[in-house]
Formats: sequence, C-alpha cells, structure tokens
Amino acid sequence: MNPNRSFFVPVDSPLHRLNPLTKLTFVFAMILPAFLSVPELAPILAIPVFLAAFIGRVQKPYLNLLLKLILPTITFMFVMQSVFLPGGETILFMLGPFDVTQEAMRSAFFTVTRIFVMVSSFALLLLTTHPSELMSDLTQRGLPGQFAYVIISTLQILPQMQAKAQTIIAAQRSRGLDTESTFLKRAGSLVPLVSPLVFGSLAEVEERAIAIEARGFTSKKTKTSLHEISDTSFDKGLRWILVILILASVALRIWLS
Amino acid sequence: MNIEIKGLRFTYPTGLEALKGINLTIQSGEQVAIVGQNGAGKTTLVRHFNGLLKPTSGSIFIGDWETTQFSVAKLASRVGYVFQNPDDQLFSRDVLSEITFGPRNLGYAKEKVDELVQRALTLTELSDKTETNPYDLSPTWRKMIALASIIAMDTPIVIFDEPTTGQDAVNVARIANVIAELKREGKTVITITHDIDFCAENFERVIALSNGQVLLDGPAREVLGQEEILAQTYVDPPQLTRLGKRLGLKETVTRQEEFLQALK
Repeated sequence: MNPNRSFFVPVDSPLHRLNPLTKLTFVFAMILPAFLSVPELAPILAIPVFLAAFIGRVQKPYLNLLLKLILPTITFMFVMQSVFLPGGETILFMLGPFDVTQEAMRSAFFTVTRIFVMVSSFALLLLTTHPSELMSDLTQRGLPGQFAYVIISTLQILPQMQAKAQTIIAAQRSRGLDTESTFLKRAGSLVPLVSPLVFGSLAEVEERAIAIEARGFTSKKTKTSLHEISDTSFDKGLRWILVILILASVALRIWLS
Repeated sequence: MNIEIKGLRFTYPTGLEALKGINLTIQSGEQVAIVGQNGAGKTTLVRHFNGLLKPTSGSIFIGDWETTQFSVAKLASRVGYVFQNPDDQLFSRDVLSEITFGPRNLGYAKEKVDELVQRALTLTELSDKTETNPYDLSPTWRKMIALASIIAMDTPIVIFDEPTTGQDAVNVARIANVIAELKREGKTVITITHDIDFCAENFERVIALSNGQVLLDGPAREVLGQEEILAQTYVDPPQLTRLGKRLGLKETVTRQEEFLQALK
C-alpha cells in the first residue's frame, strides 16, 4: 500500500522521468488552449492527453479513473447541456418535453471535451509525479514554502486521519461500543469516535508545526536541497515548445475573430 | 476463562502474512507477557483475542466462544483491551463518565456499574480526579484513565498494549500494582511489552514472537535465560539475568531477590 495514498503510481516511464515543472507546463499547454482558443481545438487536444497515459505507463489507473469519475461526470454534463442550453434552432429530436438542438449538442460536446482535457491532464500529472517531488521542485524555483506546505499537508491529512479513525474505532469497539447494529445506536456512537479524532488531529497539527519550525521552516535564508530533481535540456526545450503552443493557440483565436 | 488458539494464520489485505500458524493455550488467571521485535506480530495476535481481527485460517476460542461468531462489542464483555495511546479512546468531559462508558456499554445494572467504577478509580489512584477533564491531565494520568476505563468493565481477560511506554518510574509501579491486583482477583492478564525488566518482575509466563511464529514460550525465568534465541527477535534478557550469567551463577535469575539469594 502506498503510505501516502496519493494518486502517484511508482513505475518508470519517460513521463515519470520528466521534470515536474515540464509536466505542469504540459498540463497548462493542454488546458489553456482548450479553454481560450477556438472550441474545435479541445477535441484535438484530448488525443495527446489520452495517449500520454500510455507513454507514462499509467493507462490502467488512468482508465479506471476515466471510467469511474470522468466519464459519468461528462456524460451527465453532456445530457444536461444538450437538453437545457437555450437558443438552438435546428431541432434534432425530442427528449420527452424538451427539444434537443444541433447547436446545444455542439456546444455541449465542446464543453465536455474541455472538461475531459482539464481533468485528464491533471490526473496524468498526479499519476506520474510524486506530490513531494512536484512541491520541492516548485519551492526550489521560488514558490513560497508555506504555499507548498498547505498543498502537501492537504494531500496527506486525509489518509492520516483515516488511519487514526480506524484505530479509534477499534479502541471504542473494544470498550463495547456497538458500531455494527441499528442506525440509532450508530448515531449515538458518534461522539466517542469524533472527539478523539478532532482533539488528536489538532494536537498533531501543532506538533507538526513545531517539528518543521525546529528545522528552520520560516528561516529567510536561501535553502539548499538534498534531493536533486533532474532538469535536462530536453525538459527546458520541451517547456519552450509548450509555451509557444499556448501562445500560438491564443493567437489563432485572436486571428480568427 | 481459557484462551485456545489453534493453527492461527493471518494475512493483511496488503498481502503481508503477519501470523504464520500460532498454537497457544492461555489458562484462566495466567499473567502472560508477549515480547518480540517490532513487526513480530504481537499486536496482530492480541487483536484476534477480542475479535478486532478475524483469522485467515485457524481458530480462537475465548472460553466457549469462537471469536468469528461474536461481534467485537459482544466479545468486549470477556476481553478488555487497553490501547497503547490513551488519546485514541478518551472522549468524555470528565474522568468519571469516561470510566463509566465501558461498563455501561456492557449493560450492567446501575449499582454494579457504580461499584466497578469506584473499584477501578481506587486501583488506579484516580479517586480525587473524577471531575477533571482527561485532557487537562498529564499523559501519564491519561494512561491511567485508559487503564481504569477497561478495568471497570470487569472482564475475565485484560490485554495491555505496551502499558509502560513513555511512563515514569512511579507510574510504572502503579501499573504493576494494577496487574498484581488483577492477578489476585483471578483475572487473566496479557501484556505486550518491550520493557523487559517490567516483564521479568511482573509476569510468570513469557511468549516470544518472531516473524509471526512462537519462538519461545514458558515460565519467565526459562524464556528470559535463552539469550541466543531471544536475540533472533531483538530481545535482550534483563540486565540482572545477563549479569548473573557473567558471574557464573548456576541458575538463571530475573529478579532482584533471586539474584541476591543466588549470590549468598
């Protein structure tokens, strides 16, 4: 089991070897054009995002996420938008009392592909990048440590609280607390479970703050890092290409309008 | 009430096989210490006694109850379990209601609950702190509240998970006193511990676990004398035992009186 319970899949792939910032740039090079440029670009961008999951050798967890989370969401959005988006004229068919127009379906299609590109590319970033690697790379590039801490601790606090909750449940069941029977009994068992969790988590937050301060967290000096994150010239080149793509896509939008 | 363990194997969902065939009988009224390196399977084993974990194969009987047939809440009337960290269980505003929680869950009559709570308070020296909020007390006292809250359940079997970790000498003596009193009442006490001196002074029987199996099992003096075998599970015999050996004493000694006796 992954102790951090993050999305990260620890395998070796070209995508895993890329610098975290390069991958972050890739994410924005997909999202920004999808939203800012001409709508027709979004479906085209969906293709490299989808293929990248295979390059990163994370296709299995990615497809899993796609089926369980992304697909249901965008299907729902597609149906809702197709039915309720006003202003369409070319009626294709009726769905109950509602007319489904060609314009609404077209617009719905572009909206869901945009959402697909956004969620998928972020998912790929999280699947192929360990959160702490992303954060230490960004702090080494000048992101304030406090900001990185907020993000990292948010990612970690849930799994930690989950583990703590398991222990508390076990301890209270050992004291004869019935957590398995009727709803009323279970509702009554909430206080013995929740209060140690809340008190414990608050105490942990304080302890953690002291621990990181003891290691000079708020020191103003420039910090060096033990953990070197590779940033090759390939990475740098790729980032420039991606930035140019973003600019070009926006330029395309301006030029066409 | 005997504990009967037959061919117990347990594999965690992660695939880790924590127990690899344990056969043990713990008689009613025995004082047993379980020792062994971290990850040897001590906690996994005792969590089977009150049904928190169910065997992958094999069986555990608590008296005539097979643990797979009863809920943890039900088994709590036979097996009390004091967790290592008191903060994982303390939730009440005052010590008294914290200690009343367990016996009330077991459905005893009100008079019986009051009597049990008073006895537990006296035994753990908490009688003058009943109105205090547990979180206003020091960690050592919170440990005693956790102990009291289980003792008050009056179970024939009591399990302690590392009771002396992080405790000062005075509190360790208090815990030893509690265990001695439980022994007088004829209860079975099972303790997981890394504190080998505490183990030598308070327990008659020692079980050494290693890698999910029973490495040694027998009277404390016999087990604690086996320096080479204990080393396999990173347990050192008590200092006195080692000193006695270096001095060439014929018998294995584990306690002060025995040591002085042997010197004469």
